[in-house]
Amino acid sequence: MKFALTFLAALLLGVTGCATKKPLPALTGDLITDGKNAIAYGPAKDRVLWEYRVGLAALRRGNFEEAKRQFDDAITRIGGIYTTDAGAKKARSFFNTEAKKTFIGEPYERAMAYYYRGLLYWRDGERDNARACFRSAQFQDADTEKNEYAADYVLLDYLDGLASVKLGSGDGADEFSRAVKNARGGSQPPAYFKKANVLVFIEFGNGPRKHATGRHAEQLRFGEQASRIRSVNLKLGSQQFPLVAYDDLQWQATTRGGRVMDHILANKAVFKDVTGGTAVAAAVTGVALAHHGSGEAALVAGGVALVAGLLSATTTPEADIRTWDNLPRFLTFAALELPPGEHSLAIDFRDASGLTLSTRTITFTVPPVSGQDTVLFLSEHKT
Amino acid sequence: MLERRLPAQRVGIHPAERAVLEAGAPSARLDTAGLLHYCSRTIMKMKIQKPLLPILALGLGLALFTGCATSGVKNPDATGVTEMRGDEKGFVGGTGVESQDLIRVSDKIARGILSAPQIASAATPPVVVLDPVLNETRFPINKNIFLDRIQAQLISKAAGKVTFLARERMDTLQRERDAKRAGNVTSTSDANVQEFKGADYFLTGKLSGLSTSSKNGVSDYILYTFQLIDVRTSAIVWGGDDEIKKQAQSDAVYR
Repeated sequence: MKFALTFLAALLLGVTGCATKKPLPALTGDLITDGKNAIAYGPAKDRVLWEYRVGLAALRRGNFEEAKRQFDDAITRIGGIYTTDAGAKKARSFFNTEAKKTFIGEPYERAMAYYYRGLLYWRDGERDNARACFRSAQFQDADTEKNEYAADYVLLDYLDGLASVKLGSGDGADEFSRAVKNARGGSQPPAYFKKANVLVFIEFGNGPRKHATGRHAEQLRFGEQASRIRSVNLKLGSQQFPLVAYDDLQWQATTRGGRVMDHILANKAVFKDVTGGTAVAAAVTGVALAHHGSGEAALVAGGVALVAGLLSATTTPEADIRTWDNLPRFLTFAALELPPGEHSLAIDFRDASGLTLSTRTITFTVPPVSGQDTVLFLSEHKT
Repeated sequence: MLERRLPAQRVGIHPAERAVLEAGAPSARLDTAGLLHYCSRTIMKMKIQKPLLPILALGLGLALFTGCATSGVKNPDATGVTEMRGDEKGFVGGTGVESQDLIRVSDKIARGILSAPQIASAATPPVVVLDPVLNETRFPINKNIFLDRIQAQLISKAAGKVTFLARERMDTLQRERDAKRAGNVTSTSDANVQEFKGADYFLTGKLSGLSTSSKNGVSDYILYTFQLIDVRTSAIVWGGDDEIKKQAQSDAVYR
């Protein structure tokens, strides 16, 4: 009886210890609810990924405070990647996958977190902090393998300059010339219009989706998702403003060149192949030696085969394919000057032939206070 | 093996234990008490010396703990709070504006303002209003925090040499004054006299940045400049600055 009690106490002690792993609540189908549960109860290494997704979903639903909270935390973590991170160290080792690292995303994902936070700052009247975000967003793209594709977001430079113009802290000429230089496919941004008091940020299409290729899934690739929408048309009363995309995230994701991590993963893959080959060779040798009566040597060869096989089996060169999967593909922008009062704006989302596939309407009020911009955010997507 | 050691026909066998023996293995039908009874009897039958039993129990408990450690939670316990001074460089940091920069810069600027002749030699304490700083860096920041700390330093350490106006509280102050004028609340002086002060100087500043990024890492230089501007003449009567440069390189997994 005494022993049974001791045993029970030990068991309870152990079970209590196990209670530290909280179960993830059941999925509800609502991205914001499920995402916030994943942030609270899921692995810490995926926290920023969920903050990106939840922040964007909140922004699209007009829950700006929630979006700010999520992007603020994510941006703080992006800024803190210079400290030692146990997950990052693990991700470099032969025996852990890249996905062990704390997720902050590829440069195009980090840039978008800053971009969204920037437009939220602008919406709050903090143009200089908005400009800081656009600069940081561009900065994420500055260390490409090929210089010609470094820091080449058109809209980020354009908005940087526009903020300076509106702040009166510069003419934005340098930023504008960089934006024009990087413009592709006839998407030249218009000259700055200082009197504009309504800024319309528009996005459409589906962003890049990561996948892994190579013998051991060690090569990161960015798949293109089907996006029928290719342009938009703003309608304000009888006026129409056709807009094309200034930036394409598919382009941004695929023009950076190789990552340092790609070399690490390639080395892991080579190690896996070499140890795997060694294991096979040693096993064959062991069998042959056993047939010829060299028992001791066969045993040694068997041991080598076992160790090499284990090393090969436990080497994990798989690339990290966690993706900010509700990103759009295309970004565009318009600046309008409207009198104070209520206005209604319709946006036609059009395919490559100019056919309108869907239309969204937004009603907003331009306040009488001068010097404050009305910021509108319009997405083809709802979450 | 168990069946051989514990025949089902034994007298005094627990019903749950019997169920186990009949089924050949513990099953989901077995209740916890039955399982414990079954395990304890099994161990007793293994002729383990009684003094060893607590050790065995402890080992089992530890084994369960070890099992938990591998179940996906690396550090289930909190790391605890590390209290630091604001001017200490913490173990979490980036290349942007941090608390140690704020304290260093605001201390230097506050000292500089106090030594300015317009403040140090003024016959009556000059009245100063804060004007938000302009952020020209790539880092979004709380723009009021620098001026708030400079103001706090000057109020606490300048022994009344400077007077600051609470302009950010004007709405509240005006409501109070209007209530006094309307006779809704008491007043110790004539509420109809205009006593809200005007400023002699504006204290403002700018954060300018120069950032570079390459394969060798990231470099961020920030120049903090502050100015005391004479409201009457628009002359800059005092200026002070500080600069901080930080460089870092992220882990290879992020490059």
